[in-house]
Amino acid sequence: MTTQHKTKSSSWKNKFREKLIEIIGKEGVISSDDELLAYDCDALTGYRIKPIFVVLPTNTKQVSQVIKECYLENIPFVPRGAGTGLSGGALPTDEGIVISLTRMNKILDVDIPNQRVVVEPGVVNLWVTNAVSPYGYYYAPDPSSQIVCTIGGNVAENSGGVHCLKYGVTTNHVLGVEMVLPDGEIIEIGGKALDHPGYDITGLVVGSEGLLGIVTKVTLKIIKKPEAVKTLLASYDNVEDAGASVSGITARGVIPAGMEIMDSLCIKSVEETIGAGYPIDAGAILLVELDGPSAEVEAQLPIVEEVLKDNNAIQIKIAKNSKERDLLWKGRKSAFPAMGRISSDYYVQDGVIPRSKLAEVLGEIAELSKKYGLRVANVFHAGDGNLHPLVLYDASKEGDLDKTLELAGEILKVCVDKGGSITGEHGVGHDKKRFLSLMFDDNDLDAMNLIRCAFDNKDLCNPGKLFPTPRTCVEPGMKKFEEHPVQKAGMGEMY
Amino acid sequence: MIKKSTLRNLCKIVDEKNVVLESEKLGEFSIDGVLPQIVLSPNNIDQVSEIMKLASKDALSVIPWGSGTKSALGNKPDRADIVLSTKNLGRIIEHGASDLVATTECGITLKKFQEALNKENQFLAVDPPHVTHVNRRATIGGIIATNDSGPERLRYGTIREFLIGIKVVKADGSIFKGGSKVVKNVAGYDLPKLYVGSLGTLGIIVEATFRLYPVPEYSQTYVASFSSLEDCQETISTLLNSHLVITSLELLNPNLAASLAKRNDVDINDSRYSLVIGIRSVEKAVKEQIPSVKKICDQNNGNGFLISGTPEEKLWEDIRNFPWIILKSDRVVSKVGVVVTQIPQVLQTIKQISNEYGVKIYVSVRAGNGICIIALKGEGPSVNNALKHLRNFISSINGHLVLLEAPSEIKNSFDVWGEIGSGLGIMKRIKANYDPNNLLNPGRYI
Repeated sequence: MTTQHKTKSSSWKNKFREKLIEIIGKEGVISSDDELLAYDCDALTGYRIKPIFVVLPTNTKQVSQVIKECYLENIPFVPRGAGTGLSGGALPTDEGIVISLTRMNKILDVDIPNQRVVVEPGVVNLWVTNAVSPYGYYYAPDPSSQIVCTIGGNVAENSGGVHCLKYGVTTNHVLGVEMVLPDGEIIEIGGKALDHPGYDITGLVVGSEGLLGIVTKVTLKIIKKPEAVKTLLASYDNVEDAGASVSGITARGVIPAGMEIMDSLCIKSVEETIGAGYPIDAGAILLVELDGPSAEVEAQLPIVEEVLKDNNAIQIKIAKNSKERDLLWKGRKSAFPAMGRISSDYYVQDGVIPRSKLAEVLGEIAELSKKYGLRVANVFHAGDGNLHPLVLYDASKEGDLDKTLELAGEILKVCVDKGGSITGEHGVGHDKKRFLSLMFDDNDLDAMNLIRCAFDNKDLCNPGKLFPTPRTCVEPGMKKFEEHPVQKAGMGEMY
Repeated sequence: MIKKSTLRNLCKIVDEKNVVLESEKLGEFSIDGVLPQIVLSPNNIDQVSEIMKLASKDALSVIPWGSGTKSALGNKPDRADIVLSTKNLGRIIEHGASDLVATTECGITLKKFQEALNKENQFLAVDPPHVTHVNRRATIGGIIATNDSGPERLRYGTIREFLIGIKVVKADGSIFKGGSKVVKNVAGYDLPKLYVGSLGTLGIIVEATFRLYPVPEYSQTYVASFSSLEDCQETISTLLNSHLVITSLELLNPNLAASLAKRNDVDINDSRYSLVIGIRSVEKAVKEQIPSVKKICDQNNGNGFLISGTPEEKLWEDIRNFPWIILKSDRVVSKVGVVVTQIPQVLQTIKQISNEYGVKIYVSVRAGNGICIIALKGEGPSVNNALKHLRNFISSINGHLVLLEAPSEIKNSFDVWGEIGSGLGIMKRIKANYDPNNLLNPGRYI
């Protein structure tokens, strides 16, 4: 009996459900249709698939046992944190289960003298900073969703944030993981001390989008809060000048903690929504945050101001206190939800370009916007060239979504043509897998597939994501995989 | 043994001058006494691929070779048919100064790469050893393959944090790339990370793209010595817990302090533990932070002095290279990783071991990272026993000890890598998938 048939049979389903309950307990297994609906998509709500069950384990052993059952029965499984992902990484698989890690939410160890925190994957990003903040420390990666998104999800997606220009992204702050491999084996990699012997599996797992197993424990590096912080807001007539300012600042040897640009559409919607104090009629604004020792910040501030003025900044405002600073950032972090003010629906892209190509690319995006007759609002992590163009559309309008997806795809092509990437922090997931081959040829994808096969030769762990087309696993040493005639005819598949 | 016909075909791939067959010259490429039959130095990536295809066809083992500065790392190879030298892959492909990124072929020496980047006032933020040696200078490929680093990792991290893209020739000769040329990218698996510290076992790293940093405009170093390890540790934790942004923080044991004092014209107290604290930033920031450093040292009974310019550069250069400049031969070098708060116990234990076995031990500790570079002088059973004692102790506190370099007789009875842990199985599966016939550096690592 194939997997597909099996999951449709109610006697098999009941038996499998009983097994899951045996492992986790009744309260940790969701099987009723209305409850399952809550798990049928992540923050990319355009795609929805209902899982057969959702399980909520409370410890590593349970995760391992559930995965062993799935392995035995060839049932695909999808790990899930808070479901805030924007690329459909936690989209359930047809006839598969979802393993939600939200009940594994304990901070296991706060080790201030060694600047380490060990957490379970369901711990919310901001909780880490909250736990160490009384000691003057914080956890650097700060995605906009940090008040809800989980560390497990951050690890899967290699999340960034608005301060990663200077401090790096998740991968630069994860020192080790405990994880359950797709056959149920529990392994531990890295840890509090540095330079463990062996391949950098931690580096490989971070950003692997939940395809290599389920992370059950994460060792994080925390850093000391900076002595001084200065946040500047500069307004411009146009986005190009804002972009030129960004390159100008790094060219002068200054690496700010973050540099963010918003265009006029974004400014308006944010101002109308939360009133962050942005100049409402500006063509663009640039937020620059400098941090570090007071003397360093003091030395860098005049350099930055000079560059901003040289690039035609109309007005420069420096936040006077932390309240003003928080408000400026709140505006930025609310940019996505604020779009609701000016458009019923929006679709966010995540392309990356070399910083120096910013003005060029924005011009091309404007052209595309005109061509498709859809408004595009731009907000981006300008310091590292990570664009978030928001295509505004109306889902109730026939054909609008298709046009939107097409336009968004065109934008990604522009990014790759300029030497960039299709995704800077949201991940490929389900959403962008068809674009991955813009960046990688068959040899590159084969190399990635060898990794997947080393971890998951049955293709059960978050299958159907990331790779543009399904790829099979070949046993080491075999020359080349030949499709079986039955497979070729589409009558069966390889496990 | 390489078949005669294969040997001829291998020679055809590269120019005559890029083939070494003479046995006296092959000696320079010996790894723990294992000699290759041929050394090939391809001129371009396609030639690398051709060599690997032939090697793959005849199941010949291949040792990737930058300049051999770390050829002592790893277990003795099971076999070594071909040494593939990257010395002719030294072209810088692109330096996008305004984007703070650069792409280079991996046979380039770090020194040459830095010189080119420095023209735009930028640099690759790694400071490993073997960079300025007269003959053998560490290459970019070798630094990636060993994840080698230096004292400035406190501020910047290791090369892992800056490697954003790679091109690799796999064992079967196929060429692939991973990562990208932009600083932020999460498309596909992060394959560059896999290659950092893979010791050439997963392919020949032929090209790399890095994110760069602006060269800090100013630098000063404060050197303080302490009569007690407790005072020293207290200073370290106060410094790390302060708002100061320190570039490098190195703790030298008395033996090393004495040796460096002799070599450098600086007044290091040679009977005490010394802290060498470097700050690089804008001038104003350096000058305002150094007094705070001094104050913290003073409060913990540390006597110190300030250096800058050439003496400062020379001292750091010596710290990076200390095992190789102090001990010209018969040295056993290891790297220990523990957490910062365990540093005093490690140093105490080393002192005990040194007394117990009568072995002179030099230690330099990256005090903000918990990495200790430990050099034992001499050979024979006492060194061997001292090393084993040290490994046992480090394991007992959940740290790890990797042997970087040792005479063959020690390597024969000592596990170079130590306990790799529960991840070993998946590492072996990755190795088997990338190099199914185990041709690349067989036996040396995974």
